[in-house]
Amino acid sequence: MNTAKQNSRCSIPQTSTLNQTMVNVENLSLQMGDKHILQHVSFDLPAADITSLIGPSGAGKSSLLRCMNMLNTDWTGHIQVQHTDIRHWHGGADILRKHIGLIAQKPAVFPVSIADNVLFGLSRSQQKENTSALLQHCLQQSALWDEVKDRLDQPANTLSIGQQQRLCLARALALKPSVLLLDEPTASLDPRSKQLIELSLHELAQNIPILCVTHDLDQAQRLQGNILFMCDGKIIETADCDSLFNHPQKLETREFLRWSVCDCD
Amino acid sequence: MNKQRLLLPIVLLGCIAALLGGLSLFWFLTSNAWNFFQSFGISALWQTEWYPYEDLYGFLPAILGTLWALCIAMLVAIPCGLAAAIVSSELLPNTWQSIARLSMEILAGIPSVVYGLIGLWVLLPFLQEHLNLLTGHSLLAAGLILSLMILPTIMLMAQDALDSVSQEQREAALNLGLDWNQLLIRILLPQAWPGIRSGLLLALGRGLGETMAVMLVVGSLDRIPQPFYNILEPAQTLTSRIGREMGEAAFGSMHFAALITCGLVLAVFATIISLSAQRKGSIA
Ligand SMILES: Nc1ncnc2c1ncn2[C@@H]1O[C@H](COP(=O)(O)OP(=O)(O)O)[C@@H](O)[C@H]1O
Ligand SMILES: [Mg+2]
Repeated sequence: MNTAKQNSRCSIPQTSTLNQTMVNVENLSLQMGDKHILQHVSFDLPAADITSLIGPSGAGKSSLLRCMNMLNTDWTGHIQVQHTDIRHWHGGADILRKHIGLIAQKPAVFPVSIADNVLFGLSRSQQKENTSALLQHCLQQSALWDEVKDRLDQPANTLSIGQQQRLCLARALALKPSVLLLDEPTASLDPRSKQLIELSLHELAQNIPILCVTHDLDQAQRLQGNILFMCDGKIIETADCDSLFNHPQKLETREFLRWSVCDCD
Repeated sequence: MNKQRLLLPIVLLGCIAALLGGLSLFWFLTSNAWNFFQSFGISALWQTEWYPYEDLYGFLPAILGTLWALCIAMLVAIPCGLAAAIVSSELLPNTWQSIARLSMEILAGIPSVVYGLIGLWVLLPFLQEHLNLLTGHSLLAAGLILSLMILPTIMLMAQDALDSVSQEQREAALNLGLDWNQLLIRILLPQAWPGIRSGLLLALGRGLGETMAVMLVVGSLDRIPQPFYNILEPAQTLTSRIGREMGEAAFGSMHFAALITCGLVLAVFATIISLSAQRKGSIA
């Protein structure tokens, strides 16, 4: 009786999280010097899906991601993750970043072993527990396990760049983030690593929201999900993949899709 | 082709000159030391009496004094230098960072006799007053002056090493939720360690060879402190002994040879320092 009551109580928030938006960005603006880098950016990320962020270089895509995990703090507006304003995150920005995985364009592995890289973000008490299962799980999620399972204690800089990027993905996943942000994760990677990362992202997107910046329109199409088109610090158009690529509503979007340029002042 | 023919002899000549210089220095040190050890035996190294006019040459007080002064200097300068480097490279805004850098470079460029005079006028009266010493001349004073002199080396090298840790590494660490302490201990210091270590060894070398400033404040008393860890007593270091007595020693005399042997002992210490640097360097 008692347990049934608890179960039913628990199930209510669980079902509602599925419909919830996990990340909510509202009216985000960022200014550096007298340059407006982001202007009134608003969008939501659903609880589990891929959202691709496309736009010409210099549009402010990287800056947007850096605002979302407080590497950049000068912004105005509201960013909420799980309905909590990230400025008032319990435990501060360091704890927030454990919930928001960010993968940079250039993989930066630490000069320690492959296994230690994956476990690097864990607290000391977490590292003392039996970590081999977690290690294997994360490396499998990032499609690197088969290539490194025999050499986990070798230095990580012996991996190829593509493998290093997948290692960075595994390293972020070891913290079990509730959101994953990726900044052109496959730019300048070999085709195979690119393909493997896209596959992993599809898998991961069943459980957590993913925001993936890409300059590669084909990749955005392969990732499916929603597309945010951004130019000059503004979100120009938001739509799901098929309608944005087949029936772009805005003139700027059409220009960008056809000529990869954007003129939106 | 012609230029090569012209340059090659010049390069070779320079090389030979350097080689000859090194060899003659080595020969000078060892032949004098050989003479000395033949008359007094290797045991002079651990005897305690140094009275040149009675032909007593015991090296131990000066060796101990040198080691003590270096120890004190490193104990003070390492934490201060590292802390200054961390604050300057990680916390200060760029303008202040370059001001700190510039002032350290100026500090490094001041001739050592000036440090000695500062010690004489400022440090010694201070110690004399606050520690109730007779004059203030002491190993502690020598160590403190030395620490001030090697501080810039440690700080500048450590700061360069910290600055060279890439922004990507820092942000990758931050993205994993590391706070500032963890960033410092798990990323910055380990990755900067090779540079910091060379700074420490360079500082050690400078401290070992420093003569003028030490000579002015150490007191030049050829006696082992009583008890041996009493750093408040005046004492002697190898360098200050050479500096002070070289003028009175007749060229070719036993006194002269004994002083050259002091130089050889210093050279051996310096060699040990550079060898330890190399062996650890090849592992890292
Ligand atoms: N630290 C900074 N200071 C000043 N301007 C910056 C800084 N970082 C980025 N910018 C500017 O912000 C704009 C957006 O940059 P970015 O977010 O990197 O674009 P994207 O990732 O879309 O290519 C660019 O015009 C860039 O020059
Ligand atoms: Mg970018």
